[in-house]
Amino acid sequence: MSTAWRQYICRACGLIYDEELGDPDSGLAPGTRFEDIPDDWECPLCGVTKADFEPYARCAHAQAPEQVIVAQRTPGIVIIGAGTAGWNAAEALRALDGDVPITMITRCAGDVYNKPELSVALTRKSTPDTLRRETGSAKAARLGVRLFPQTFAIGIDPVRRRLRTTRGTIDYTHLVLAQGAKPALPPSLPADLCWRINDLDSWAQFHNRIAAAPRRIAIVGAGMIGCELAEDFARAGHAVTLLDIQAEPLGGLLPGAAASRLAVGLSDLGVRFLGKTAVAATRRMAEAIMIDTSDGGAIEADLVVAATGLVTDTRLARSAGLVFDRGIAVDAATLETSAPGIFALGDCISIDGQPCRFIEPIAIQADAIARAIVTGAHGGYHHQPPVIRLKTKSTPIVLHGAPQPNLPWRTVEKGDRLVMEQWIEGACVSRLTA
Amino acid sequence: MTALAMDLSSAGLPPSALPDDATVLAQVAIIADGPLRNAAREIDEGHYPLEIMTALGGTGALGAHLRHNGGRLGLAIAAMQTASRACGSTGFLMWAHDVCGLYLEGSDNPALSSSLLETHSAGLTFGGTALSNPVKAVAGIEDFLLRARRVPGGYIVTGALPWVSHIASGQYFGGMAGVPKADGGFSHAILFFMRCDDRIALRPCPRFSGMEGTSTWSVRFDEVFVPDAEVIADPAQLLLGRIREAFILLQTGMAMGIIEGSINDMRDVEGQLGHVNRFLSDRPDELTGELAELRTRIMRLAETPEDGSTDYMVDVLDARCQASDLCLRASQSALLHQGARGYLHAAAPQRRVREAHFAAIVTPAIKHLRWEMARLLRDEVPA
Repeated sequence: MSTAWRQYICRACGLIYDEELGDPDSGLAPGTRFEDIPDDWECPLCGVTKADFEPYARCAHAQAPEQVIVAQRTPGIVIIGAGTAGWNAAEALRALDGDVPITMITRCAGDVYNKPELSVALTRKSTPDTLRRETGSAKAARLGVRLFPQTFAIGIDPVRRRLRTTRGTIDYTHLVLAQGAKPALPPSLPADLCWRINDLDSWAQFHNRIAAAPRRIAIVGAGMIGCELAEDFARAGHAVTLLDIQAEPLGGLLPGAAASRLAVGLSDLGVRFLGKTAVAATRRMAEAIMIDTSDGGAIEADLVVAATGLVTDTRLARSAGLVFDRGIAVDAATLETSAPGIFALGDCISIDGQPCRFIEPIAIQADAIARAIVTGAHGGYHHQPPVIRLKTKSTPIVLHGAPQPNLPWRTVEKGDRLVMEQWIEGACVSRLTA
Repeated sequence: MTALAMDLSSAGLPPSALPDDATVLAQVAIIADGPLRNAAREIDEGHYPLEIMTALGGTGALGAHLRHNGGRLGLAIAAMQTASRACGSTGFLMWAHDVCGLYLEGSDNPALSSSLLETHSAGLTFGGTALSNPVKAVAGIEDFLLRARRVPGGYIVTGALPWVSHIASGQYFGGMAGVPKADGGFSHAILFFMRCDDRIALRPCPRFSGMEGTSTWSVRFDEVFVPDAEVIADPAQLLLGRIREAFILLQTGMAMGIIEGSINDMRDVEGQLGHVNRFLSDRPDELTGELAELRTRIMRLAETPEDGSTDYMVDVLDARCQASDLCLRASQSALLHQGARGYLHAAAPQRRVREAHFAAIVTPAIKHLRWEMARLLRDEVPA
């Protein structure tokens, strides 16, 4: 029995030669096998020769099956970002208005997860599947939201209320920016060598690289995320080195007595902390990554994680001419940006020049924005510094209020438990428990 | 700055022999609104307007973007817009010609970078670019169609390009070929100068829907020797990385001209049809405002083509993409504004719709631009 008919594609113009059909116009009878075509035969469309044809395999669609996005003619509310802030905004809007068209644009799949869980995930033996609470498409269907996954917002025309994306231009009545913040990478920590754990996708890829065996992991930056990850990796059996320019972990935020407790707790778990250490360069050396420190030392690791802080990407704000001050500046009560009809919440905003990158205020912000958009009522958001809880089980630390970097701390209790406070003019402004 | 540019500046040569921007544009406008406007239909149907290109060369418009003329990229774009409001095909020829000028300028061979560049930028000799496939190959959208094999003194190039514009016997173009690795794939690519002589075969293309006067041919390389002196960049990325922003920004001149021409078509019938045309969307005033904003952005980008940042590149791709989108909307609206007279076979809106389609599908097409923006904005993860 003869083999099945095959097809060949012209690499130049895309014409397909089907052996079953032949090319009668140029004298190839139906059923002419490709190998039987004379070498001087030309592509009937563009004139290249047989050598420029190759076997045709139908293009496998991109990794994820493409979702059918129903075209929608009525402009509605567009949300950029499908992290905690984006989904909270969608839920709050839908709760107040069952009909208003809502579109979400997200660079990822929009899957729902709880971001704080990423820094304790290994200890809990989580996997990407257990962290994912719902897929983006399922949640979008449930909320009646049109979701554009793997789509990048490129530019905003605030006058015509149009958003340019990598899937086309979308009209909006109101725009909600929930784009989040991205890791700030200094030049000494190049993106092709340093991991950043800032979302489920990046955590999943990192997890994939460390799941098989204990690895040597260097974490640059001993802020909250750096400390939490260090403890989590160490508890999972990895050899962790934690670097910071400060003398002690979380040295920029905590008073010395509390930072020392944290240092001891991490050390007991086997984390090697290198304080007063700055990274001069990072380079690949065979299978390993070398970190050159500015004091002339070198640290060898299998993987390097940068936990050097977050910044808000400026692209969208710049394209729309929005006021930007360490974040997208929003009105403290309404969360409206400097452009009418454009709101923002979550990690991307700043209020009076202060970003606030915690989960706690997001739901309240989303609610205020939803009320402002749907009812036209004043949002009435009151920003309060959230309670900060460091998820380091070795030394749990809780901070209430707004710690001031240069204000002295009073020790209220010292023993098994450490309690410290900062006071201004007879009022306690922050309280720490370790 | 390249070694060549430094040589010129350190030699203390006069900055520019070119007239000021306003003079260049005024002269281009005389050509565009006179002979070019009258020839537009004929060009669309197949006339290759080298006499117009020579006239444009005489104004300085074809060399404005080159370093020895002060690198006035914005002027080159504005000149292209002015010509394209009369004829999109001619705008496209100017683009191909301008980009070829960038290749010649990037060559270390004085025969190319000096004597030929001089006649080229004056519109006395002509050449285009065969960069559609390589641009897509570099972006990972398709494979290189030309393959180059190293031999003593040069490369042997084999393969075929389906459509290369602004070439003809005796003219020339800049091409790119991948250098295959032993284990498949390409180690790198070379950018080379190619004269259309008997080493290569030019074959007619199938008939296009419009823009037939762009002298577009299918080109076959059958073991063609390219001497080292005519290899412009090896690896090609050295030069390509330096000119890709200008390469893409220049195309916006063609798109903006098509938009401007479409707006003019709408205004032409405002006296007779304005009372009913006001029921249409994408009205001329609306589009004029959008074009003005887009043009401001493009001109600002044209001031810093050497920026090099990812953000800048995305801004360039975004502007080019928006120009294509606006072209489609404007030409469609011009046809609707003109009504039955715009539906006549010889009507300007008919031609502009095809020109707009061309601006939207020529490499980088709308889909390629979006692909590339998404690629650039995706987070890089350690290998």
